[in-house]
Amino acid sequence: MPQDRSALLIGGITHAKEEWEACSSLLNLKVYPEGSRDDFISKCRKGDFDDVFVIYRSNESTSVTGPFDEELVRTLPASLKFICHNGAGYDNINVPACSDRGIRIANTPIAVNEATADVAIFLMLGALRRVTIPFNALRQGEWRGRNFGLGHDPKKQTIGILGMGGIGTAVALRAKAFGMRLQYHNRHQLPSDKECGAKYVSFDELLETSDVLSLNLSLNSSTKHIISKPQFDKMKDGVIVINTARGPLIHENALVDALKSGKVWSAGLDVYEEEPKIHPELVKNQNVVLLPHIGTATLETQRDMELLVLENLKEAVQNNHLKTPIPEQKSSRARI
Amino acid sequence: MTKPKVLRLGDIDHAHDAWNSLGELAELVEPKSRSRDEFLEECKSGAFDGVSIIYRTFGSVSISGLFDEELLKELPESVKFVCHNGAGYDQVDVHACTSRNILVSNVPTAVDDATADVNVFLILGALRGFNTSMLALREGKWRGHPPPPLGHDPEGKTLGILGMGGIGRNLKKKMDAFGMKTIYHNRSKLSEELAGGAEYVSFEELLQQSDVISLNLPLNKNTRHIISTHEFEKMKRGVVIVNTARGAVIDEAALVAALDSGHVFSCGLDVYENEPEVHPGLVANPNVLLVPHMGTWTVETQMAMEMWNIGNVRAVLEKGKLNNVVPEQKDM
Repeated sequence: MPQDRSALLIGGITHAKEEWEACSSLLNLKVYPEGSRDDFISKCRKGDFDDVFVIYRSNESTSVTGPFDEELVRTLPASLKFICHNGAGYDNINVPACSDRGIRIANTPIAVNEATADVAIFLMLGALRRVTIPFNALRQGEWRGRNFGLGHDPKKQTIGILGMGGIGTAVALRAKAFGMRLQYHNRHQLPSDKECGAKYVSFDELLETSDVLSLNLSLNSSTKHIISKPQFDKMKDGVIVINTARGPLIHENALVDALKSGKVWSAGLDVYEEEPKIHPELVKNQNVVLLPHIGTATLETQRDMELLVLENLKEAVQNNHLKTPIPEQKSSRARI
Repeated sequence: MTKPKVLRLGDIDHAHDAWNSLGELAELVEPKSRSRDEFLEECKSGAFDGVSIIYRTFGSVSISGLFDEELLKELPESVKFVCHNGAGYDQVDVHACTSRNILVSNVPTAVDDATADVNVFLILGALRGFNTSMLALREGKWRGHPPPPLGHDPEGKTLGILGMGGIGRNLKKKMDAFGMKTIYHNRSKLSEELAGGAEYVSFEELLQQSDVISLNLPLNKNTRHIISTHEFEKMKRGVVIVNTARGAVIDEAALVAALDSGHVFSCGLDVYENEPEVHPGLVANPNVLLVPHMGTWTVETQMAMEMWNIGNVRAVLEKGKLNNVVPEQKDM
């Protein structure tokens, strides 16, 4: 009977509360809105969640239970078959540990593409103008200020997209509208009808020939610090670096050094290695544009993401299937 | 035969070679004046007699003041061409020039991309409400306490462009990539090809239907304060206003009132009524994105603008006519 099974909401739902409540026709709804890692693990061990079939969690809920690492995943109830995650990035879930337990994971791609790409372009345009200087000067009553200088037009410059997934593609389409030349590097070249006219290049060629480098790849053990000193050394002098993906993709100290030396002319960042902590030299640097990880912070996108998680949840309950399973678990090799 | 004389008001920052090469065709002179009074005196002294072409910059207004009736009266009779380095030429009284048979050129087109790019930056920044986040982060508060309200996506929203000239059309193409639907109002309807699929509407309809209103029209006596209290009242509640044209097309005090009441959700501004002054009500508002008139401030565009303006001087020297005149004089 469906009512023997439960869904557990960890953290909150803000925009799709009604749609969540409507799921009560499919299963029992349980909530764990706040607490702590220790408390959550002990409740799991006590059997409080023993009928939970599907979990709704989010990047934000990591502050409630801590990351879904190996230790936590091992204590999850045996009844659990699905984790429906709100977030395109899911680096706070240990995927192999879940796969070993036969737990399938969905994330929220697509819904995040436009909003995140919009932020990437905002950061790029701002970085090309070193806009922080005049932005601050005006607010301090100095109009343009003494350090105001000329910026650069994006037109005819080459944007290199590292990670041409959904978000990278959305960035490419926008950059094209500004007259930029497009190139990308991916694990594998895309079919030509999906490339948006972008040229596929090797990682090294991307570093060596891009005027603007946009990071749009996911964070995992092989991509951590993918941009570090050796990579900065290969880049063009005066390059602009944009990161709306995950902070740890860039070695933040190395970025600070590269900005100091002038190798990197400006950067536009929405994410940082140890959010919410930011390298103090970045916070002080007036040549860069900084946002506090608000890539998808719009009413429309937040609601779309919550709705997508619930779609995955319903699909799991009704059809034992996910609408947007994570790439690592899509192939038969995952043995789920 | 004496060479023709060209008077330069303001600096050349990039196109030095192109400027200097005019020296083969004309005598290039500059004022000694550092203020309007001195400039008027210098005119009266006959220092500029024989000058037929004036190359001026937006910034040279700090030397000569506005090119108004008073100043034009003091210019030597020989002046026949004023080449203005800028798209907006509201500093020049074209009517007064026309009555003296002085032709005026400006710099269209070269400014389009850079201005539209700042326009896009302001639309995104205002819709998304980035201002508070950028300030909070720099103060060490991450997103701020309380965190800022959620912003809005441009996707699916209606962009109303007031003034579908070169910059407006350039903006439309770029905002297409963000999924915005564009409507526009212009003095006259454009051909389908030029409009690129944007819908032509009346001024009223533009005010009523737009989620974002972008001002891309020139400033003149008809457009001063074209957006004021009555116009704000007609707009959708929660509208976003963006201005990269001229500050005075908006009644700045009325804008502040509309922001304070919440009728206008946010605005993105590059220009202000009394630059470099900015209405304190704007600076005090956390929901607005303000930058100091930097629309065309890139290396590439500044170079292209100087080249265009120098090109106009050269065209007169070589062919006796400008490459372009301001729209008001197209029948002269």
